[in-house]
Amino acid sequence: MAGSKRWRVGLLYALAVVVLLVMVFPYLYMVLGSLAPWNEVDRKLIPSSLTLRSYEWLFQGGEDVVPRPWLRAFFNSLLVTSASTLLMLVTAVMVGYALSKVKFKGRQWVHNAILFQMFYPSIILLIPLFLIVRYFGWYNTYWAMIVPKAVNLWAIFMYTNFFRSIPDELIEAAKMDGAGHFTIIRRIVWPMSRSITTIIFLFLFMERWVELLWDMLVVNNEKMLTLNVLLAQMFGPYGGYPGPMYAASVLLTLPILILFLLFSKNFKEGMQFILK
Amino acid sequence: MGCSNNMNKHAAKVGWLLASPYLIYSAVFFLIPLFWALYLAFTNWNLISPEYETVGVQNFLDAFFSPSVRAAFWVTYKFMLMFVPIVIAGSLCLALILHHLPRWKGLFAVGYFLPYLASGVASSIVVKGVISYNSPLNQFLRDALGWDIDWLGSPILAPLVIALMMAWKFVGYYALLFLSGLESIPKEVYEAAEMDGAIGWKRVWHVTIPMLYPSFYTVTILAVGLMFGIFTEPYVLTGGGPEYATHTWQLEIYNQAFEKLNAGYGTAVAIINSIVTFASIFVFRKVLEKWGGKHGWE
Repeated sequence: MAGSKRWRVGLLYALAVVVLLVMVFPYLYMVLGSLAPWNEVDRKLIPSSLTLRSYEWLFQGGEDVVPRPWLRAFFNSLLVTSASTLLMLVTAVMVGYALSKVKFKGRQWVHNAILFQMFYPSIILLIPLFLIVRYFGWYNTYWAMIVPKAVNLWAIFMYTNFFRSIPDELIEAAKMDGAGHFTIIRRIVWPMSRSITTIIFLFLFMERWVELLWDMLVVNNEKMLTLNVLLAQMFGPYGGYPGPMYAASVLLTLPILILFLLFSKNFKEGMQFILK
Repeated sequence: MGCSNNMNKHAAKVGWLLASPYLIYSAVFFLIPLFWALYLAFTNWNLISPEYETVGVQNFLDAFFSPSVRAAFWVTYKFMLMFVPIVIAGSLCLALILHHLPRWKGLFAVGYFLPYLASGVASSIVVKGVISYNSPLNQFLRDALGWDIDWLGSPILAPLVIALMMAWKFVGYYALLFLSGLESIPKEVYEAAEMDGAIGWKRVWHVTIPMLYPSFYTVTILAVGLMFGIFTEPYVLTGGGPEYATHTWQLEIYNQAFEKLNAGYGTAVAIINSIVTFASIFVFRKVLEKWGGKHGWE
């Protein structure tokens, strides 16, 4: 009996490892493709030797025929995503605090408006949003990619729910000591929400980082493109250079992967809150 | 009395001040575009010319008879038919594996979640390479089995490839939903079932799966909703082809509004798209709730 159970657990682990390999395989394929000699990319599963040629090619800005500012695009992605994510976090904490800890007339109304908006299909807004951004003169600027993505309803919703679990007595006690709302947010609420903040930050950053449609619409100046958009646009023209395409994909994937693994310590508890 | 009144006033000021980022944002980036869209859909504006006129419901009529809009309508359900069963079966299996692992559960969960981090563009590049003519996979299929497959040239395989890519991306995420469902099933339920002789696969089928109804509900609605927003993968991989086989709503709207510059018509298609989305999700909800009601779920 004990033997049969051990055998079953062993089988379960074997299965778990096989699934893990399937999930990780495309990443491995990408990394190997970026390091393989150019005549072996997409032809051999395991390259016979490794080379950095694809990365060098990329960092020099590509071939003379179709030069593209790959490093600049990476920088653009980093700037746009960080600014946008930071704004989304700050606004979500502010609004979430107002909706859960400040008693004011109209609070329920604001809350309902957010819920309604969350389930509204954003595709209808796409074309007019583009027109508004163009009207503001933001076409081809960072503003176009940052400001319309400065507020995130899901993040507000998450913080509102989380702040509700903070006891009111704590806030009242701080008020007795003469603390204002902004001090309370900074000194009490913000430190208490560290674990949920990491997971919300991760999701917001990730979603912003891989945005394609919007960033593609509001920018066509080569110098302003994000890495994701540049990579999508080079899909056809660079068809003959799969090696550099893999290198660019690695560049696109690495920041998210590093961020995720840094925060994965809190991953399970954080997810449990989000999935509730 | 006066003091409390002051406090209320103060609270109102702070409340509206803190909520102001949302209010300003929604006014500029939600309400204005919303009404603008409702107006645009009835015009023939081409995104550039200063002159345009209202054309009544002409855009909606055109959309109704347009082959590409009809394609987008059906393609979405085709994607659903492929994606939803695969991703539900897959994520349930992953959740069952994770749930029964005595150790390193969190570590494997993190590993299974990794595909969710991938950009659709990057994974499209990998898929394009894996199924390219000289790839190890196609070489093997040709040499060992004599199969010469043009993956993205086939109207059945092309959407299947995209559905599988998306399943790969979302399966680990949905598995976490099923896992939290599994963890919330009380031990007594299993013990009672064991008394009745339900063990092994019988237990999975008759006890675990019906108990997981809330997770099934959430995952199905999420997966169905996702199918109405596919853009990146067909945009870079197939361009909607072959012959509209992967032509999604978002691709149609993007093409109409920003390639052909039919802003008015594109907006009309977007409105039709959201009505279809709402209606479809509503029907799915009702069907699922009926099924759940039969099994004792409210």
